[in-house]
Amino acid sequence: MEKLMFPFRIRAFALLFVANLLAAVTTALAQEPNVTAVLTDAETTIGRPVQLQIQVSGASSPKPPAQITVDGLDIRAAGTSRQYQMQNFSVSYSFTFSYTIFPERAGSFKIPSQAVEAGGKTLQTPELTLTVANSPGGQSARPGRGSGGGNTANDNVDPAQIGFVEMLLPKSVAYVGEMIPVQIRLGLNMRAPVDSLGSGVQIAGQGFTTQKIGEPRQTVENINGRSYQVFIFKTAIAAVRSGTLEIGPAEINPSVRVPMGGQRNPSLPRDLFDDPFFNNFFNDPARGRTVTKEVKLKSKPTTLEVKALPPNPPGDFSGAVGTFSLKADANPKTVQVGDPITVKASIFGRGNFDRVNAPALEDESGWHKYPSADKFERDDDVGISGTKAFETVVSPKERKDKLPPLVFSFFDPIKENYVTLRSDAIPLKAEGGAPATPAPTVAAAAATTVPPTTAPSSTPAPAPQTPVQDILAQLDDRPAKPQSFQPPYTQRSFWLAQLLPLLGLLGFVGWKLRRARLDDLQAQRVQRLQHEAAEVERRMRANGVSPQQYVADASRAVQLKTALARNIDPNTVNAEIAAAAFRLDEAEHARLRQLFEQSDELRYSGQKNGNGTISPQRQQEIQDLVESLRA
Amino acid sequence: MKRLLFSRRILWIVVLTIFAFAADLRAQNAEAISNANSEYNAGRYAEAAELYESAVRGGETNAALFYNLGNARFRLGEMGQAILQYERALALEPQHPEAAANLQLARDKARALQLRQMWWERISSRVTTAQSIVAVSIAFWIAAFALSAWLFSRRRSPITVGILVISVAVLWLAAVVLYLREAGKKGRDFAVVTAQKAEARVATADSAGTILILPPGSEIKILSTRGDWIYAALPNDLRGWIPAASAERVRL
Repeated sequence: MEKLMFPFRIRAFALLFVANLLAAVTTALAQEPNVTAVLTDAETTIGRPVQLQIQVSGASSPKPPAQITVDGLDIRAAGTSRQYQMQNFSVSYSFTFSYTIFPERAGSFKIPSQAVEAGGKTLQTPELTLTVANSPGGQSARPGRGSGGGNTANDNVDPAQIGFVEMLLPKSVAYVGEMIPVQIRLGLNMRAPVDSLGSGVQIAGQGFTTQKIGEPRQTVENINGRSYQVFIFKTAIAAVRSGTLEIGPAEINPSVRVPMGGQRNPSLPRDLFDDPFFNNFFNDPARGRTVTKEVKLKSKPTTLEVKALPPNPPGDFSGAVGTFSLKADANPKTVQVGDPITVKASIFGRGNFDRVNAPALEDESGWHKYPSADKFERDDDVGISGTKAFETVVSPKERKDKLPPLVFSFFDPIKENYVTLRSDAIPLKAEGGAPATPAPTVAAAAATTVPPTTAPSSTPAPAPQTPVQDILAQLDDRPAKPQSFQPPYTQRSFWLAQLLPLLGLLGFVGWKLRRARLDDLQAQRVQRLQHEAAEVERRMRANGVSPQQYVADASRAVQLKTALARNIDPNTVNAEIAAAAFRLDEAEHARLRQLFEQSDELRYSGQKNGNGTISPQRQQEIQDLVESLRA
Repeated sequence: MKRLLFSRRILWIVVLTIFAFAADLRAQNAEAISNANSEYNAGRYAEAAELYESAVRGGETNAALFYNLGNARFRLGEMGQAILQYERALALEPQHPEAAANLQLARDKARALQLRQMWWERISSRVTTAQSIVAVSIAFWIAAFALSAWLFSRRRSPITVGILVISVAVLWLAAVVLYLREAGKKGRDFAVVTAQKAEARVATADSAGTILILPPGSEIKILSTRGDWIYAALPNDLRGWIPAASAERVRL
């Protein structure tokens, strides 16, 4: 039976295999390879890429063109997708080869027919035409391959899709030195998170100065249907020469995170606005893999017409251009001749404060003026508007009844005139010294504005003149000792001089150490004597002490007490010294003498006297005698 | 013994020669200064300035010399140089009223820009570096003695503690003043623009953007140098590059 089954199974498998093979061959033979090519957009602009898709069907492993080169277009392979379909034992294959085209310049470009090998045949794609127009907004085209290193930051990243820069000036005509606020707006696509703003904004151009650009203010704005993170930088510029100046462009190189590869999944629907970040939905910076790229963004340059300041400025004009006001005060109001008076002047308004100098006294005769100190407080972001406070010390050289007005001249670009501000004279009293000398006549007009002179024949407008001061005369005296810019610590003599106090300090420390040691020895000696005295007194209070011992201890106790009182060697103490130390009367002196004699007798006689113990009465007498000894 | 005597003689000869040379140089400088004063009084300011400069090159350094040189430069209309010399006089003697007065005049005439100083820098500029160093030195030794007395005494006297506290406070204050004098805006790196017109730029190139135009006599603080350029802190609180030849340090 098994023999019968086995041959049947083999035959069945063989039949099935052959049937499938025939079906596949039939299907394969029945489907001819086919190729087509399409552009996602036949028209585009610089900076806006399009996709080229070459679709091959009816072949199992087609070979697409390795590289497609068209002058003016940067074409790069973007990926391949495959599709298999089986129907009634027939299998159909379909391949789509995608290429991303980045237009480099405007024009009409023909993408020639490309050769595709499929199914053992070489197929040709149709020729395609792509029309590229200039993009609005002046954004630069995508650089081509092999360009300089500076362009590598923008490889695969279209700056136009990342963001924009605009530079806003409120006026196109200004005067030399006039401060013009400038606003620079950097907008970055919200889908390209910014890592850093690089080294900040740089404004190119010559012939003007730029104030320090501070940290930007950030907002989010919706522009043409896209969300942008907008950074607003504020600064101010001032022209240094007249003529036509080109301001900018303003450049900034932020680093942003963009999707890796720039691939688009062709099976996904396209974004209506052709946003590559949408097109690469599964490569969204917020979702997929990203890479940080530096992007170069530039604004358009702006032209500024700069007018020269009118000739014949007032004598005290220091280059200040703007709109200013002046306030002044002085204290104290009553002084003696020669005493200092602090004059506080404030100039506030808008303009180039770095050219605002301290206002001068209209008439400085009879006054001694010291250098001023100044402090500027801004009340805007760029330092155009604020208050500059000056503090000047003056002292009257003669009797005065007022401080002359302070004058300050500047050019007002709104009035197009030189303006001289004059504060009120400040009444004060300077007493003592010689009477005031008459002030020199000053050829000054009452008017405070000076109209500009436009023609050589017109007479210059009268302007207030400050009295001309001359420098003080030469000094003939020569200092007794030479002076030097070198600090003393660079000179050997300085360090030699430091040896003296150093030696003094070392000697002082040595002396202090020795004294401390001596004090210790003295303290140890006193402690030793006190300890011995306590020990002797304890023995004296003990019972059953021999007379010899008791008397010896008593005399020793007297010696120790005397030594502690007088700071002498206890072994040198006798009855006379002890009596003198404690100022004993005759009776106590006699008893003390008797004690010492008895002690010597008992010590040196070597005989045992009495019955070997001392009577309590005698013991008490001796104890009272010893305890009565007080210094 | 002979060798010792011989070396002593050589040493004396060398010392005497040095003294003689120094005395001769000082005498030469004194003569140059005297001649310069005469030239100035006669109205020959260029000759006077040259003679003053020769005394400076000869090693003469005193406030009066720089003040006189500043006057000569002022008369010649070289405001940048005049302001530089007045600043040198004030660096040696901060309380030199004539130099301060003439400096103010020159600044006003040149419309020079000044570095903004904080109040503590203004106070510290009223003493010389030498004065602050002497104060530091004296306060240091007093503090050292007081500390030793305090450490080795059994009974800590309040007078000793008081002296110690006061001397440490004076030491700290003098050290701060010294630091401000040396490292502040008018310290070692303080310089004055001497060129007629110096433009501070963003980079070390004549074509780089301009930050600020500095009139002669304007103050800067040198931060670093690179070749022929100086990177400096400017009067408007910005920083920029100016040609090294456009400015000179105040302290020689």
